Amino acid sequence: MTPASAPRQPSLLFSTARIFDLSLGQMLWSRRSVFLGLLVGGPVVLAVAVRVVFALFTVGVNVNRARVPGDVVFGVMMWLLYVRFIVPVLGVFYGTAFIADEVDDRTITYLFTRPIPRRAVLFGKYLAYLVCSALLVLPSAMLVFFLIVPTGGGSIAQAFPGLLTDLGMLVIGLAAYGAVFAFVGARVRRPLLIGLLFALGWEPTVLIVPGYLKRLSIAYYLQALVVHDVPQDSGPLVILQAFRESPSLVVALMALAVIVVAALWLAGRVVERREYVLEQ
Amino acid sequence: MSTPVVSTDHLSKWYGQVIGLNDVTVTVAPGVTGLLGPNGAGKSTFMKLMTGQLVPSKGSVSVFGEPIWENPGLYFRIGFCPEQDAFYEQMTGLEWVTSLVRLNGVESSEADRLARRALEYVDLTDAGGKKIGAYSKGMRQRIKMAQAIVHDPELIILDEPLAGMDPILRRKTIRLIKEWGREGKSIIVSSHILHEIESMTSTILLINQGRVLAEGNVHQLRDLIDEHPHTVSIKADRPRVLAREFLTHEDVLSLRFEDKAVVVQTARPDVFYSRLTELAASGELGTIHEVTSPDDNLQAVFEYLVKS
Repeated sequence: MTPASAPRQPSLLFSTARIFDLSLGQMLWSRRSVFLGLLVGGPVVLAVAVRVVFALFTVGVNVNRARVPGDVVFGVMMWLLYVRFIVPVLGVFYGTAFIADEVDDRTITYLFTRPIPRRAVLFGKYLAYLVCSALLVLPSAMLVFFLIVPTGGGSIAQAFPGLLTDLGMLVIGLAAYGAVFAFVGARVRRPLLIGLLFALGWEPTVLIVPGYLKRLSIAYYLQALVVHDVPQDSGPLVILQAFRESPSLVVALMALAVIVVAALWLAGRVVERREYVLEQ
Repeated sequence: MSTPVVSTDHLSKWYGQVIGLNDVTVTVAPGVTGLLGPNGAGKSTFMKLMTGQLVPSKGSVSVFGEPIWENPGLYFRIGFCPEQDAFYEQMTGLEWVTSLVRLNGVESSEADRLARRALEYVDLTDAGGKKIGAYSKGMRQRIKMAQAIVHDPELIILDEPLAGMDPILRRKTIRLIKEWGREGKSIIVSSHILHEIESMTSTILLINQGRVLAEGNVHQLRDLIDEHPHTVSIKADRPRVLAREFLTHEDVLSLRFEDKAVVVQTARPDVFYSRLTELAASGELGTIHEVTSPDDNLQAVFEYLVKS
């Protein structure tokens, strides 16, 4: 055999890009993506049902006998379904599996015996996750928007700029949750369980606890990015609005950026130093 | 004296209460070296330590004079073929090998050329476009070897590379390993079958229960092995016809049938394997699919060595 190209250690960026190439297809067509695709299909099905009911019975969502426009209903769905449930769940299921899948499938050996920094494996998979999860969530949110907003006298044209902000918020949410759960996946033994407890237990709980504890959640900062007003005349929605104490937009964006960078840095550090013992 | 490819100093590895490798101090010189030991002896642990996948619990391991743990630059010089049968099943063989060599910093077109060359080496050119999920056991073994050699490393570490291969493929693979050795590559190859190791090299490290029991020339073990019958299991289309043929030879001590396999005890493994390869090549007595050897016979030798 003739010698290969002169050895030059690939940069972190190059290595990350190669792992991204290798992982994106695997991630997109995985059973996990099919399952999560069904999950993000839920709000679309709900929106179709709402739209059909509105069309057939000319009813709408009413608060104090006043019809609530579709963009407000969309805002509620965005906050309750997407930001508080779907985005964290996607983050948990993908993020905790970046390294765990390779270990379970015993394919990590092939990646860890190449001349790349180990953290590039995590970063490449994180980027693949962002693309993959955005491809699942954003079309779903857009479909819901176009189905729901015209109901109750809402206007697509007026609400459209808000949609773009919502989509940006979803991507930021995916980035933040994905980074945190990447760290959880790299660090702990039962990452899925811990991740679900954090996403569905800790996050909603601390948001309704008065005081500073809510600042230790991602949702607290994400809610500063929500552009929609929530109607305040129905019982549950009033309670919901009452706890929507938010930081300023700048503080929220900075905090989310810090969360992403810090979580990824810590996760990368763990992956560099940890040994992964494979089952024979 | 040339730099040793691998050297260890009181190297130990334990997993909780279980000892994987126990106080091993060895030097592996350039050339082909066989790592021989029964299943669970510590061969794979040793290989994972020398490929930087595990951290030593105690002692140290160096490759080309440098510590391997957290030293990814060394992987330019090392190719590793692991024991586990694990792949990205949805990728084709060519895609997989190309993707992996790209991690060595190779550009796309060069990666494609190197991957095709590696596939050619392991005789998989025609199957390069097929999904790995559709590969036979032998093809899967060879594609693993292709990813280990694709970047033309100086040291190739092969963990049980012949496991599950049919006799013809075994012969080809052994020839390939010897050829790499002649080209100046250093190769460390593990097996629990002395006959396999012997056909590739005369330099061995004998390992059992996490300890290196002996290092040196394989032929010194030959006499010991001959005192212990060697068991071989052969999966074939027509096991009964094969059995009839085996019984005509004096070295075959006993045989029995298990599922679609005939399990033979032979006093002369070298003669038996040689005859088996010829039979497989001729195809006269049907197709031979898989040859495996349990390590009972080797275990007996180890017990003898430990006692003596």
